[in-house]
Amino acid sequence: MASISARRLSKELKEIMNEGCPVGITLLKAEDFVSWQFTIQVMGESLYKDEIFTLLFRFDRDYPISSPAVQFVTVDGKVSPVHPHVYSNGHICASILGSEWSPVLSVISVCVTLQSMLASCKKKERPADNDRYVRHAPDNPKKTQWHYDDDTV
Amino acid sequence: MSDITTPVAPKLEPAALPPVDDVNAPPPPLAVPVTEATELSQLTTAQVYELNQSLLDEASDVERPLIDQLLPISALRAEYENGNPAFTKQIDWLTEKGYQYIRRTRGDGDCFYRSLAFAYVEQIMSSIQPDDSAQKALTVLRDTKPMLEQAGFQEIVYQDFYEELESLLLRVLRPNEITHQRLDTVTLLQSFQTPEVSNSIVVYLRLLTSAQVRADPDAFAPFLFHPEIGEPLEVREFCEAFIEAVGKEADHVQMTALSRALGLNVDVAYLDGRDSSGQVDFVQFRNPEGSTLTPITLLYRPGHYDILLNMG
Repeated sequence: MASISARRLSKELKEIMNEGCPVGITLLKAEDFVSWQFTIQVMGESLYKDEIFTLLFRFDRDYPISSPAVQFVTVDGKVSPVHPHVYSNGHICASILGSEWSPVLSVISVCVTLQSMLASCKKKERPADNDRYVRHAPDNPKKTQWHYDDDTV
Repeated sequence: MSDITTPVAPKLEPAALPPVDDVNAPPPPLAVPVTEATELSQLTTAQVYELNQSLLDEASDVERPLIDQLLPISALRAEYENGNPAFTKQIDWLTEKGYQYIRRTRGDGDCFYRSLAFAYVEQIMSSIQPDDSAQKALTVLRDTKPMLEQAGFQEIVYQDFYEELESLLLRVLRPNEITHQRLDTVTLLQSFQTPEVSNSIVVYLRLLTSAQVRADPDAFAPFLFHPEIGEPLEVREFCEAFIEAVGKEADHVQMTALSRALGLNVDVAYLDGRDSSGQVDFVQFRNPEGSTLTPITLLYRPGHYDILLNMG
C-alpha cells in the first residue's frame, strides 16, 4: 500500500486541481510527494501589498500525522516577508507548524493561516533574535525547538 | 458527563514522583549547563545542534517500541526498587489483586490512545465469540463516521485513518487477502509496532474523541481547561490543541469521551505512590450501554499510560 503521506497528498492535490486554490495562493510545483511549492500574496490593503512570496513544503512519510516542514524560499532572488515571526532565512515560528499541528490541517489550510498571519501584521520587522537564529539554524525548520511566545502578532 | 462515573483524580505530589519518560514531562537537566538565561549566541553551532537533538530525542522516547511485549509486572517493580517504597508497595498490591502483567507503550504523548486501541482490539480478538464481538465493534465503528462529519471533519481528513482500524477489526473476521492470516496476538502486536498503522489508529481515536466532545458541548464545557495554565477553554480551542494535535496527552475529558464514543468500559489504575498502605485507586469510566463489558484496564503513572492485565 502507498505510504500514508502519498495517499493523503494525492487526495489533497486532486482537491486543489478540482477546486483551485483560495484567492492569493497558487500552486507552483507539486511533482512528487516530497516537496511542493506555492506562491502566496496578501489580497487587499496590507503591509505586503504587491509582494509575492514563495512557500516551500517538505513532507516526510508520516505526513499528515507529522507536520510538514514549511518555510519561505529565499534563493533565486526570492525573499521571505519581513514579519516578527519570519526569519530572514525563510523559517517561520508558528505553533500550527509545531506543537499545535494536527492531521486535521492540510497544505492549503497552512497556506491560508500564513496568509492571514501576514495580513494582520502591524509592523514590518524581523524577530528580535533573527541574526543569531539564522547563524545557527538547522536546514530543516522542524529541527528547531520553537518558543511560541506571542501568537497575537 | 452525568451518566459516566468520573471521580476526581488523586492529587499528585511531584516531589515524590519517580521520573517518567514522557513528552510532557519537564526536560531533565542537560549535561552542558544550558539554561533559559543562556544566550544562544554563546554556544557553538555544534552545541546548538546538540541541544536541539537532545530535546528532540527526549521528546520521543525513541528506544521503546510503540507498544511492547507482555511483561510480568515484576519488571516494572524492579525499576522502583531503589526509589520510593510507596510505589513498590502499590505494585505488590496490584500483583496480589491479579494484575500480573503489563504491556508498555512509548512515552510520546499518544500512549493513552495507543494503549486503549490495542487493548480494545485485543479484547475483541480474544473474546469467547470473536466474530460476534468484531461484528458489534464494526457496527459501532461505522456509526462513528457520521459523528465525525457532524463535528465538521471532512472525509479526506479521517478516511485513511479510519480504514486502518477497520481493517484490523475485519481481520478478526476473515484472513488478510495477501497474507491469508487472521489477526492473532503476534500480528496484532506487529501492526501496533508499525508506525503507519499504529499512528493512524491513534489519530482516528483522537478525531473520534474530539467529535464526541464537540457533539455534546454542554456536558464537557465545564471541564475544559488548559492543562498547564488551568484557564478555561472553548470547546473548539480545547479540541484543536489538546485532542486533535498529535502527542498531546489525554486526561479525564478525553478518556470519558472516547470510552463513550466506542461504548467501552475503562478502568485506570493510578500508580502514584500516594497511599503508603499500597492501595491503588481505580478511576472508572463506565458506559451505560456497555454495562456487561469487561473493562479494559490501563495503568497510569504521572504523565504516562500503559496496559495492565488481570490474568487472575
